[in-house]
Amino acid sequence: MFFIEINQNFGEQTKFLAAFIALIAITWVFLVYYSYKRHGTKKTIVYFLPIIIASLIIESVGVASGRYYYSGYIIYLSVFGGGVPLIIILAWSVNLFLFLNLGKHFISKIYQKRNYVQIFLISSVAGLFGVCLDLLEDPIAHYNNWWIWEETLKGIKFFEVPLLNFIGWFVLIFFMSIATLLIERSRYSENRKILLSISSLSITGVAIFVVHGLIGKIFEFVGIS
Amino acid sequence: MEKNLAQFILENIFLFLPIVILGIVCTVVLMFISKKENRTEVENLESDFKTIFRIRFNIYFLVYLFIWIVILIIGLFSDFIIPTMIGGIIATIPLALLILVDYKTKKLKVR
Repeated sequence: MFFIEINQNFGEQTKFLAAFIALIAITWVFLVYYSYKRHGTKKTIVYFLPIIIASLIIESVGVASGRYYYSGYIIYLSVFGGGVPLIIILAWSVNLFLFLNLGKHFISKIYQKRNYVQIFLISSVAGLFGVCLDLLEDPIAHYNNWWIWEETLKGIKFFEVPLLNFIGWFVLIFFMSIATLLIERSRYSENRKILLSISSLSITGVAIFVVHGLIGKIFEFVGIS
Repeated sequence: MEKNLAQFILENIFLFLPIVILGIVCTVVLMFISKKENRTEVENLESDFKTIFRIRFNIYFLVYLFIWIVILIIGLFSDFIIPTMIGGIIATIPLALLILVDYKTKKLKVR
């Protein structure tokens, strides 16, 4: 069910893949180190490990479903039949940590009350900021074959990237931010928070798939997917 | 034929269902069979700032800016000019909003 694959044809069919990998690797190392220094080991695990597991499952399902695939990377991981590059999974942890903190910074300036409304606002802003960056990144990634969307996919596209992809980005970052903030602000012990952040992935995952599936259905019904 | 994620999961529901049920049970057990601590943590967002050339920058703002610049350069070097420019402009929205909200709150503090 779970396997690791090593690809020996690094960069095949791609352009500037090394630069993209270097960007993610540098950012990931910096943010993990910064989080470790600022928040300690346990909080860093709460911030990074759940999204690594969630994105591994979601990306693997995405590849297995035949919507897109990755070529030219070195290390691939697979849980449900679809090979996902390790660096992509790390990139998702960068996304969540970065956009969650940008959302916190932004919302703390305009809404100071620490309540569920603030959690909702922070998560929404995190998701929207994520989509903004993805609107730059995804077309370039598709053009340079860092990941390749199947051309048979129908619906509205933004420079060959399906609209549902951007919805997926928002939904994933939004729900993962909500889960992370709820656990971070709970009064459980740090060890309990780590366990909760991993076990609650099943609930977050169901929410992500239900909402994403419903939006997909609405798109089909309206005729834009 | 390609499917969306929800369709794929529904077709393989017997693979996912045990994992989901196990996760939900573990979460409920962890939430209700544990003592809550009485401390409330107050986040200090001020320590996320670094001063460079006498200007205070948010660390996450700088990381976003770094990613934005590198991807923009890659896009331009790939001869993918128009999508890169359009995407680049959209991706500046978070940067502009962060600068704006910092500027507005600073102004309010001075008053």
